[in-house]
Amino acid sequence: MSLVQISGLKKHFDTVRAVDGVDLDISEGEFLVILGPSGCGKTTLMRMIAGLEKPTEGAIAIGGADVTALPPRKRGVSMVFQSYALYPHMNVFNNIAFPLRAQRREKKLDKRMIRQKVESTARLLEIDMLLDRRPRQLSGGQRQRVAIARAMVTQPAVLLLDEPLSNLDAKLRANARDELKDFQRSSNITAVFVTHDQIEAMGLGDRIVVMSEGKIQQIGSPQHIYDDPANEFVATFLGSPSMNILSVDGCRFGFRPEHFLPKTLSDKPENSRLFHYYVKRVEYLGSDRLVYGYVQDHEDELTLAKVPSNVRASLDVESDYEFAVRDSDIKYFDKQTGLRIPAPKRSEVTYS
Amino acid sequence: MSLRLPAFPFDNRRVVGALFLAPALLYILLIVGFPFLLAIAFGFSDVTVGNTDLNFVGFRNFEAVWDNAIFRQVFETTIRFTLISQVFILLFANILAIIFTQDFTGKWFARFIFILPWATPVSLAMIGWLWMLDTKYSPIDYLLLQTGFLGPGGILSKDRNLFWLASPDLAQISVIFVQVWRMTPLATVILMAGLSSIPTDILDQAEVDGSRFMRTLLLIKLPLILPIMVIALLFSMITMFGDMTVVYVLTRGGPVDYTRVLGLYSFQVGIEGGNLAQGAAISLFAFPLLLAMAIFMLRTASRAEVR
Repeated sequence: MSLVQISGLKKHFDTVRAVDGVDLDISEGEFLVILGPSGCGKTTLMRMIAGLEKPTEGAIAIGGADVTALPPRKRGVSMVFQSYALYPHMNVFNNIAFPLRAQRREKKLDKRMIRQKVESTARLLEIDMLLDRRPRQLSGGQRQRVAIARAMVTQPAVLLLDEPLSNLDAKLRANARDELKDFQRSSNITAVFVTHDQIEAMGLGDRIVVMSEGKIQQIGSPQHIYDDPANEFVATFLGSPSMNILSVDGCRFGFRPEHFLPKTLSDKPENSRLFHYYVKRVEYLGSDRLVYGYVQDHEDELTLAKVPSNVRASLDVESDYEFAVRDSDIKYFDKQTGLRIPAPKRSEVTYS
Repeated sequence: MSLRLPAFPFDNRRVVGALFLAPALLYILLIVGFPFLLAIAFGFSDVTVGNTDLNFVGFRNFEAVWDNAIFRQVFETTIRFTLISQVFILLFANILAIIFTQDFTGKWFARFIFILPWATPVSLAMIGWLWMLDTKYSPIDYLLLQTGFLGPGGILSKDRNLFWLASPDLAQISVIFVQVWRMTPLATVILMAGLSSIPTDILDQAEVDGSRFMRTLLLIKLPLILPIMVIALLFSMITMFGDMTVVYVLTRGGPVDYTRVLGLYSFQVGIEGGNLAQGAAISLFAFPLLLAMAIFMLRTASRAEVR
């Protein structure tokens, strides 16, 4: 049985439908990432799980019990905010001890037990030498650990993380991502992680929930949603540079830049679709070459190709080439709904 | 050869900076600095309204003032009134600031009504209170009389009046009450600004951490607005310490000397009594005290902020 069950959840602020009918089950021990552009309702969804926001409609159950009407402290959740929200006037020890002291009576804790729990959690996150410091005296990475320690010290059923890595610089972020994943795996806690960064989402999530306009677009493993997007939004939101989309009279079809290669490199040209490709500009990115150009008959739709630098293929600007995409790498979408549709039969496809 | 563009005086930061500072400096020099220096000059002289020659007399005025029993009582009364009223001002301002930062219908109107005591000119408000606390026609007395607290068989007094401004105890209580009434709005507004500057993330975090209203208030909100609270306290203490309008309108310092405060006494001796030199000396006694207070509080505030 799933640990968190969300059904028919809606949150409307006046006329804005921040969350517009979300159904979601979260299993125990899972690392679930909610991914979407800003304003898609992902933070509102998380705040409703935390109990900081009252749903307009729908229900949330944690551990089988309906918590929709309960305040945060009765839900067994804890949260790490984007800003870390450390209490600036308290030292690290008191910051971590705060939730324990606040729930002292419910959890039947005495002073000694609180000290023990704070110290062991601090050791786990390797911040035990910082307990006397104030947040102001800590680096970004240390603050993040303190925030996680404070969230973990109560042993919550669900740990909610609201873009906790976005305040770190790029170098630290990769490191923190790795540590966070290790930590989640070893503690086996159920984590819900909100982000707009697809690399974070792909790297961390056991499952990813892609959201847009208050609705869930797709749920699946990172590979699943990347390789098998449910609709055009998911297809173009994931991947950098994003998927090329071309429209032919009946439908729209897309292929990722890394699948769009010179015909000479294609191993099975007979199972591929061929394009006349005009190369306008080439960016050398080190490991890859990013090619900007146009496919014949689609001169108004910029089409990108990502060609590995180590393959021999000379690509001169302002020249025409033959490029190919494997049939299996082409996704088709309905023109009106944007939903994935099966590939039309070969004979129906107008070749460009 | 590099092209030299013509330099305008306004492109120079020093020139622009000096220009922007000038009005404030001028204001301070003319309205604060000059009278202050004049008071010092008067304090060390024998100037009176009748004889405006400035003759240096050393500390004679200060000695005479310090040896005066009335002055000592006035000084003590001023400190006592200030301290007692600050306690209530801080208490009420905190409670009201918390109420006014919650969401409720009619909040805007409640805030508006509440700010009025502060927005009303002091002398005008005091004339209103003079009527409210009138010895014979006080509406408060009237209500107490109608409800049986006053008059024959009343619990508070057998009399028909309480003599708000005429009995020593009630006069002091009245003056302190009116000061609290007048100063609480400003302190509240300052504290409200402080409370609304606390990041919502911190308060949300406290809620998720399981903290309830009182814990969040005492361990999160109040410590975080402490520096601002000190500033509010400083404002109201200094305003009140130097104030004379309230007692001047309400009691003229009476009955006897029970509500005479430093500002009023200085005015009465210096302007009404014509002894400018001694009036100046009296007011100068407040200076080292206020200075020390201001330095102490500003340091406390900045220390609280830096951690």
